[in-house]
Order: sequence, then C-alpha cells, then structure tokens
Amino acid sequence: MNKLLLTASAVSILVGLSGAAAAQDYTIGVSNTVQGNGWREEMICAIKAQALKSGEVASLNIAHRNTDAAGQLEDIRNLIQAGVDAIVVNPANPEGINAAIKEATDAGIVVVAVDQAVTEPSAYVVSNNQEEYGYLGAKWLFEQIGGEGSVVYMRGAAGASADNDRDKGFKRALAEYPGVKVAQEVFTGWQQDQGKQQILDYLATGVAFDGVWTSGIDNVIVDAFVESGAPLVPIVGADNAGFVGQLGSVEGLVGAAVTNPGSIGAAGVTVALNILKGEKPAEQTVLVTPALWDNVSEEGKASIAAAQNPNLDPEWPVSVSIADYTTYSTDEIIACKGPGE
Amino acid sequence: MTRVLARYGWSLGLLAILAILLVATRLIQPNFGASGLDSLARAALPFAFATVGMGIVVIAGGIDLSIASIMAVAGVVAALLMHQMGDANAGWVVLIVLTRVPDIVVTLAMLFVWEGVALLILNAPGGAAAPWLRELVVGAVTIPGLPPELTSWLPRALVVLIAFVVIFWLPLRRSKLGLSIYAIGSDQHAAFRSGVPIGLTRVAAYGFAGLFAALGGLSITLSTGIGEPIAGPYLMASVAAVVLGGVALTGGKGGLLGPIIAVFILRTLRLDLTLLSVDPNVTTIIEGTIMVAVVMAGGLLAMRGRR
Repeated sequence: MNKLLLTASAVSILVGLSGAAAAQDYTIGVSNTVQGNGWREEMICAIKAQALKSGEVASLNIAHRNTDAAGQLEDIRNLIQAGVDAIVVNPANPEGINAAIKEATDAGIVVVAVDQAVTEPSAYVVSNNQEEYGYLGAKWLFEQIGGEGSVVYMRGAAGASADNDRDKGFKRALAEYPGVKVAQEVFTGWQQDQGKQQILDYLATGVAFDGVWTSGIDNVIVDAFVESGAPLVPIVGADNAGFVGQLGSVEGLVGAAVTNPGSIGAAGVTVALNILKGEKPAEQTVLVTPALWDNVSEEGKASIAAAQNPNLDPEWPVSVSIADYTTYSTDEIIACKGPGE
Repeated sequence: MTRVLARYGWSLGLLAILAILLVATRLIQPNFGASGLDSLARAALPFAFATVGMGIVVIAGGIDLSIASIMAVAGVVAALLMHQMGDANAGWVVLIVLTRVPDIVVTLAMLFVWEGVALLILNAPGGAAAPWLRELVVGAVTIPGLPPELTSWLPRALVVLIAFVVIFWLPLRRSKLGLSIYAIGSDQHAAFRSGVPIGLTRVAAYGFAGLFAALGGLSITLSTGIGEPIAGPYLMASVAAVVLGGVALTGGKGGLLGPIIAVFILRTLRLDLTLLSVDPNVTTIIEGTIMVAVVMAGGLLAMRGRR
C-alpha cells in the first residue's frame, strides 16, 4: 500500500514537473524608470516582441514610468503582489532596489536585471558593459585627433550609474592620452533638446576644439554643426539609427558609433524564461561587450552600411537583436506588440 | 454631529474612496493582505511627508517648488553621514537632519540651488543607511503584551508617519502660529491688520515644510539604503495630493488629514493599475482623470451646500 502511494505521488510529481516545463502561461513583470527615451522605448518593445515570439508568456505586466529608486521599490513590490513568475528590471540604481529584489526572490520570483547591474546576489544580471562603452569611444576619439588637443565631453544624466560607469571608462582612456584635455564637460541628461542647446552655446563661444564625445545624444550634435556651418570635428555617439544614418550620409563627418543594444531587455526575457524552465545560465552575470563602428576603417564602414534601416525611429539603437538571445524579426520589434495585444 | 461632518466631510469622502479601492484590490488579488498593506505604507511614506510639507505651505497661501530637491539634499546628507560614521553614530545624524530647517523663504531658484547642492554632496547614488533605522519602517508593529495577530496588519511605516504628523502638526494647528498660518493664507491684508507678523509666519510655514521634506528625503534613504542626488517625482505628486486632499490652492482652507488620505488613494490606485496590468502609458491618464473628477465633484457638492 505504502509503495503504491509512493509510486502514485512520484508519478504526480513527475506529471506536475512536465506540466511546468510545458507551461505556456508565465506572467512576466517589467519595471523601468525612464519614459519617453528612444533607447528605453526600444527596450520595452524588445521585451514585448520576445515575450510574444517565445509563445511561453501569457501576459506582461509593465510598470513603466519616470521615477526614482524609491518609486521602483514600490513598482517591484506591486509586481510581487500581482503574483508574476519573473521580473525583468532596468534598475534605477545598483543598490537602491536590493530590498525589493530580495523580497521577490524570497517569494520564488526570478529576477533579471538588464542594462545595468544590481548588487543583490539573488538576482541575475544581463547587462551592457558601460565602462567599456565609455573607454572604446574615448580611445577611438583620442587616437583620431592624434593624441593631442581638446574635446567636448557630453555626458548623460548626472548621478545615474550608467553615466558614472561610462565616466570611469572615459577617464581611463584620458589617462592613456596625456596630450588630450577636456575643453568642456556638460550633462545632457540624455535629452536631445538640452544636448543640442549645450553644443550650440559652446559653438557660439568660438573656442576651437578637436572632437566631441557624447553619451548617446548624438544626431542632434551633428545637426547643430551642420546648421551653424561650423567645421565638423570627429564625433563619437551611440548606435542610434539617426546617428548611424549620418555617419553614412553627412559629407565630411568623421565619427564612430558604439553599440549599446536596447534589445538587452529581450535577452532578459529569454534568460528569465530559461531559468523558469530550469535551465540556469552558467554565470549569474552576463555582460554584453560593446562594438565600435567608425566610418574611417573598411570594417566599420561595412558595419554601418549593414545597419542602415530607414524604418527605425532615429532615436532607436540599430542593434535591434542580440544573437543567441532574441528570436523576433526587425518588423516584429518595430510593431511593438506583446502577448494579448 | 453635523459640525463634524461639515468639517471632515471631504476627508470622510476620501476615506470612503480609499476603502472602496482597498476592497477592489482584494477582489483583484485575493492574496492581498498584511504584506501588501506594508509595502503600500512604505511606498506612501516619502510622498506623505512631501505632501504634509507642501500642505502647510499651501495653507499659508504659498507653494514650495523646491520640495523634491530638499528631499534629495536631506537624503544624500543622511546617507553620506551614516556611511562615514557607521551605525553607532546614526542617532545624532538623524537629529541633524530633523532640525535642518531652512530659514529662508523658498523660491523657484532654490529648486536649482538644492539640485546642485545634492549633486555636489554626492555626484552618484551612494552612501548608506543604518540597518536599525531601516528596520524602523519595515514590517508590522509589535506591541509588547499584545498578541501579534492583533497588530500584524498595522505597518510600522504608517505608525511613523502618524507619529510625526501628530507630534508636529496637532500642537502647531492649535497654537497661535498655526492660526496665523491659516490667517495669512486666507487673507494676507486682513491678517496684517489684525497684527499677524506676515513675514515671520511665512518663514515658519516654509520651515515646517523643509522639516517634513527632510523627513521625506530621509525616508527615501531608509527605503533604498542609499542617497540619491537626483530628485524624484515628489513635487507634482505632492501638489496633486494636496489638491485632492481638499486644500485650496488659494490658501487658508483645509487640513492635513485629507492630503494624507489622498496620498494613500493615489498609491493604491497605482497598485491596482499594476495588478490589472494596465498599459503604463494609460496609467497616468487614468490617475489624472480620477483626480480631476474627484476635485470637480467635491467643488459641485460644496457649491450646493452653500445654496
């Protein structure tokens, strides 16, 4: 009798397990704290497209608003209350949301931080390497101007952790080129209008400089040079569609785009689904290394030509997919439709 | 009875809305319980402090646009000091933050000043919060001698909020200064002719706002464990809660109970919209629409009452 019971329970457990493995009804929560920015919008669309394409997500629960770490704590706790199976989060801050992440993982929810790391050890991290992003572009720029001269340093949002990491990379490159000076350091706040105003103000002073490093507010900087008729200097930006287009088309522009895929959100969904199905990644942290495409070398020119896509919003990064992690097509991410939409 | 109703009618109405929202939350998510209430209270804490501060200034006929940046300054100062001095000295750090009352009439310019000050103090999120202080707002209240089941639904964050408001606001409201705050808010000339020191009263009102904003900043640091130099969305949120709470933006009318309930309504609303997984871009539209509807309905009722 006992044996029978044991077998019966073993069978039921197995049935339960296989049921879980074949489940197509996961709910995934998403928490994001910057709204109305092309990069973040692409991230959300990538999450939606990948969730739909995977066929394993019944619904997405997206908490997407402009707020701080305290607001994100609230959003994550609300998602816990909503009973989601996994949470994909772009953290406002590497430490500030640890308390809520711990509560989520204690409740058996899989948490994957994308784009930026968190220090809570129970979370998985799928992130772009921001320090390397800063270093790669700065090194290219300093080499381009011959290791001698002054550059305008247009950072992101003051106090943001991605900005701080990029600053570390930038400073590392600066230390390697003692002949290079920073002529002007400004925070664009990752706002197009603000960045353009700042470079126009600086151009109006008439002080000569040799290059511009931007933290992704790039196409409006090129516009400002062209509109004001100022001689172009080498410009480093991100792989935003508008800037990549300019690298191929603007006469006399020497520049480089450093990749920073917004589709990292989709990679987060894939990792979360894999963990839910019992396939944990080998490492707790997966770093996506950026690449640099310049319009000087043949290799860079080829990458830029291949990346041109007139259908993309100019503020969206052109790297709409990440090999091994995303399965949707470019049209599907542009459609920006999630499960049940 | 009718006097109580007339005086607290708006707050009672808001309380009814909050009750309906909480019941709705329970219907949407049957598991909603003590832990849900706890996280709701913790999320509401910084908003509530900001709203109380803003409420006092608005009652005095002003508006404090720098409230969110003051919160950021207080938050980073607290986080930095606690980080440098460790756990043992956290006590007097809190004292410094609590008594940090700006003695200037705050203007729009101060928003930018404090913004810069916060970044100067801490150019990136960092610092730390003393663990025992963080525990202060986490979990449910336990009262020695009472069975824990009785108090398990009462979040500590809520008790902390009520305690500070009761300690500062109740005595103030009944004092001469409190009366003066209402007086200059309702009619500055009349107040002046009655011998109310306008300037001093305004300074005091902004001082109390600064105090509560500092408390709000401290509560952010306690919930996140770090100081954040970039101000959060507390300015508009506090004005919204003050208006929804029945305080007239022209000054002189309303109390602080309504705005505090309004904060909880807005937080519960967000929780419900998340539970229902409403499109995030629609969420803010719904929040705004409900606010306009409530304020308009209240205005209509008030007009009818007068007739």
